[in-house]
Amino acid sequence: MSSSDTHAPNPHLAHHYETIEKQDYAVRLGMWLFLGTEVLLFAGLFLGYTVYRHFYHEAFHQASRHLDLWAGLTNTVVLITSSLTVALAYNAIKQGKTKLCAILLALTILCALAFLVIKGIEYNHKFQEGALPGKWYHYAEVTAPGANLYYTVYFLTTGLHAFHVIVGMSILIWILSRVLRGHFSESYYVPVELGGLYWHLVDLVWIFLFPLLYLI
Amino acid sequence: MAHEATDTHPSKDAHHGHGVGRYFLIWALLLVGTATTVITGRMDLGAANIFIALLIASVKATLVVLFFMHMTEAPGANRLVFVVSLVFSIVLMIGVFGDLWTRNPMTLPTGASTFEAPER
Repeated sequence: MSSSDTHAPNPHLAHHYETIEKQDYAVRLGMWLFLGTEVLLFAGLFLGYTVYRHFYHEAFHQASRHLDLWAGLTNTVVLITSSLTVALAYNAIKQGKTKLCAILLALTILCALAFLVIKGIEYNHKFQEGALPGKWYHYAEVTAPGANLYYTVYFLTTGLHAFHVIVGMSILIWILSRVLRGHFSESYYVPVELGGLYWHLVDLVWIFLFPLLYLI
Repeated sequence: MAHEATDTHPSKDAHHGHGVGRYFLIWALLLVGTATTVITGRMDLGAANIFIALLIASVKATLVVLFFMHMTEAPGANRLVFVVSLVFSIVLMIGVFGDLWTRNPMTLPTGASTFEAPER
């Protein structure tokens, strides 16, 4: 193990990597690979939506008109804005601006919380109306055949997405705590970058969910 | 794109990142896209509705992937694994669409409409 490296050992470099560049390359590739599996996971759900929408077109059309458009639109703007703030946080830490990065991450986390609160209010309405999946469906406004399947798809897709929001928010809280403890700088910021990538995926999924569930 | 692809070590140009303006521009474009999809989504355009909605969503998603997620700077391997997952999702959809559009009516589930099927 005679190393020709004359620099002091990098504390962020795992022993099984020769250089920090190789480690960063592997870590980023691993993240994109993981994001690819996430795409496949949601692709299956979008496919389920497509099949049921094809069979029960009228019910899906009517049910989509009974979602709260303003809640969905607000959440879309909230998520797009959080995507901006997390991208700016990455840009800030890349330039060594730790304080700015912390503020932007905190804003992103607040957006995530706002999203979950609005989603929770929407869910609560659905529960009260009886707009529920499967045999629990007893919503009087939409009675076309297959209406309960719309809500099965609705709760499954938005539920899994909300779970991703919770996971993403937890990751960002952990990263924020590390930023505040001074773990990152312009020479080491890969965790901020990867946490941001995960958060962008949450936004990506919602970009498709919003028009498919609320608009058409 | 080619000259950007060679920049595979963002840590080496750590002295300054992108101009902040580019991020705000993408954000503004995403908001414009959202407004457009709400307006076109509420117009009655028949079968075109879903295609317009998916087109706008795809453009928005592409902006997020390319600029917020910095895929323009990602090395080829990272682009490959992500794009391949999109390609396989499309393969999956083509297979299922083929089934839906060629179904014998007797195999439809109870209460299912063939409202969209004959036109395509």
